[in-house]
Amino acid sequence: MSSLELKDIVKNYGAFEALKGVSCAVEPGEFVVLVGPSGCGKSTLLRSIAGLESISSGEIVIGGADVVGREPADRGVAMVFQNYALYPHMTVAQNMGFALKMAGRSRGEIDQAVKRAAEILRITPQLDRKPKALSGGQKQRVAIGRAITRSPDVFLFDEPLSNLDAALRSQMRIELGRLHDELRATIIYVTHDQTEAMTLADRIVVMNDGHFAQIGSPLELYNRPANRFVAGFLGSPRMNFFNAAVVSADPANITVRVEGAGDDLVLPRNGDAALEAGGRIMIGIRPEAFALGAEDGLTFAGIARVVENLGRETLLYLDCPDLKTVDSESQEGYVAVQQSSQFTGRHGERFSFGVSADAFFVFDGDGNTVRFPSSTISSQ
Amino acid sequence: MSNRATLLLGVSYGFMSLWSLFVMAPVALMLAAAFKSKRAIFLDPLGFPDNLNFDAFQRAWDTGMNVFLLNSAIVTVASVAVIVLCSGMAAYVLARSPSRMMQLIYLLIVAGFAVPVQAVLVPLFQMISAAGLLNSRLAIILPYAAYGIPFTTILFYAFFLDFPRELEEAARLDGCGKISIFFRIIVPLSGPAIASAAIFQTVFIWNEFVLALLMLTSPSLKTLPVGILQLQAEWTADWPAIMAGLSIAVVPVLIIFVAAQKYFVRSLAGLGK
Repeated sequence: MSSLELKDIVKNYGAFEALKGVSCAVEPGEFVVLVGPSGCGKSTLLRSIAGLESISSGEIVIGGADVVGREPADRGVAMVFQNYALYPHMTVAQNMGFALKMAGRSRGEIDQAVKRAAEILRITPQLDRKPKALSGGQKQRVAIGRAITRSPDVFLFDEPLSNLDAALRSQMRIELGRLHDELRATIIYVTHDQTEAMTLADRIVVMNDGHFAQIGSPLELYNRPANRFVAGFLGSPRMNFFNAAVVSADPANITVRVEGAGDDLVLPRNGDAALEAGGRIMIGIRPEAFALGAEDGLTFAGIARVVENLGRETLLYLDCPDLKTVDSESQEGYVAVQQSSQFTGRHGERFSFGVSADAFFVFDGDGNTVRFPSSTISSQ
Repeated sequence: MSNRATLLLGVSYGFMSLWSLFVMAPVALMLAAAFKSKRAIFLDPLGFPDNLNFDAFQRAWDTGMNVFLLNSAIVTVASVAVIVLCSGMAAYVLARSPSRMMQLIYLLIVAGFAVPVQAVLVPLFQMISAAGLLNSRLAIILPYAAYGIPFTTILFYAFFLDFPRELEEAARLDGCGKISIFFRIIVPLSGPAIASAAIFQTVFIWNEFVLALLMLTSPSLKTLPVGILQLQAEWTADWPAIMAGLSIAVVPVLIIFVAAQKYFVRSLAGLGK
């Protein structure tokens, strides 16, 4: 395992700038997950590290050496593709040993490496089969096995579980966690699945529009998002955002008026020294912060337009007459509420929830987070 | 199924049956004529033969058909190999290159498909003669290859456009260069395209007459279509033997076509891309 360092990576496709000077350092054995919306540049970055895309400028340092300009096979990386990319005309063993064969390794060495990887991934009985005879999960294991046999410095995963069904995805996620513990390999993992990101990553890199919006541990990003984009991107259902204005500010408190809310709210200052009276802000509330029937802080009374009973939790989308969320998940301004228990409420019923002012995120006019809920931890 | 759909289906089947009859009739007539006597072929040209008389086949074979068959096989295999190899590599590069120059080259190759061989017979003869290749197998292998490459390149091009790029990328990560990717990954997975290209060109080259007649005069080098011509003299012709010779000539191509029919249809279906 090796370290990986990205220094000011820029990738242009003509006039379009896909990567806008991104930099970060990955420690040996670290599991880093790249997440972000479609087209944000995460796959481009991964492919650039692999050498499948040439970068316009910057340095990619693996194990202390700049690998820009080297062929993909000479960079010390192995990649697992979304569609497995197994060679259909080769058996599983041939697929897994192909890179070593191309590197001119001896037959015995190849067999040994394939056998070891097959044992780790529990696919020894499938070694003589062709890929078309395998299930989706087995194919993905073979694809991972192909990467393991190369003993690379860095593993690159490009949405490896997105073609699997939910149950298999969950199983493979646990397998990947186990594999990382066993190999202690340096892994860069691209996904759009938040569960994968939150459960697998040592650190998450949230990408947006070709740059890194924030880098940090999963809980750090969830609890202390640097800006509105990260706050909205992590969490499902996404955070509820409301337009608001600072009515008055003194050294101890700020008073805010949320659009559509009846009363002004007084929030104790919590690292938000920059806020001044008259400024436009945005309030963010996580769906799990709503308490049924509570009356402190901000009260949300409305009709449940959608009720999703998921067994261990219930999601409600509340249509409040005046309080409408901005850029909401429902696109209709409904307030997303999560109750961590089974809930007997039905579609069309009226409910009232309260949210303590302590649970508010506050974002300034530029979208930067200026106040976090007081109950959250700062890092993992 | 509605009445309209049934009617449409009936009309389609009827049309296809008529078309099949139209295509198969000359083949059936050829086969029937091969079993007839010289007299019967003129007295009852459309009738069935009285008995299965193999004399015409014997006379045709005695003209040296085994040599003609061997020559045709050598010329066909060599030409098809050159066509498949050159077209495959060219089409792969053309399908993967974003360069405008490559697109122009592709257009030129497609345009080459439109030049009829009859239009270039004289300059072609002069070139082959100047190269000292007249009356050698290369005298027809090279022109056959040149004429086969445009169509086969178009066919391969359509196939490679759909070839999964992730396999090539995986191969690059596994240490393959461009040539290795082509021969170790692309070629083994291009069976359907190679088979249909080979069948197309085999049928064309196996039946080609004009170039072979022009370039080859030595009896030991003649291919089947030219060799069968020996059964036709200036004032007379052994029509049953000619038909028998043609029937024999058809058999190898027919076997190849039946064996690889599915590739043929599948690849043609992808030509519109």
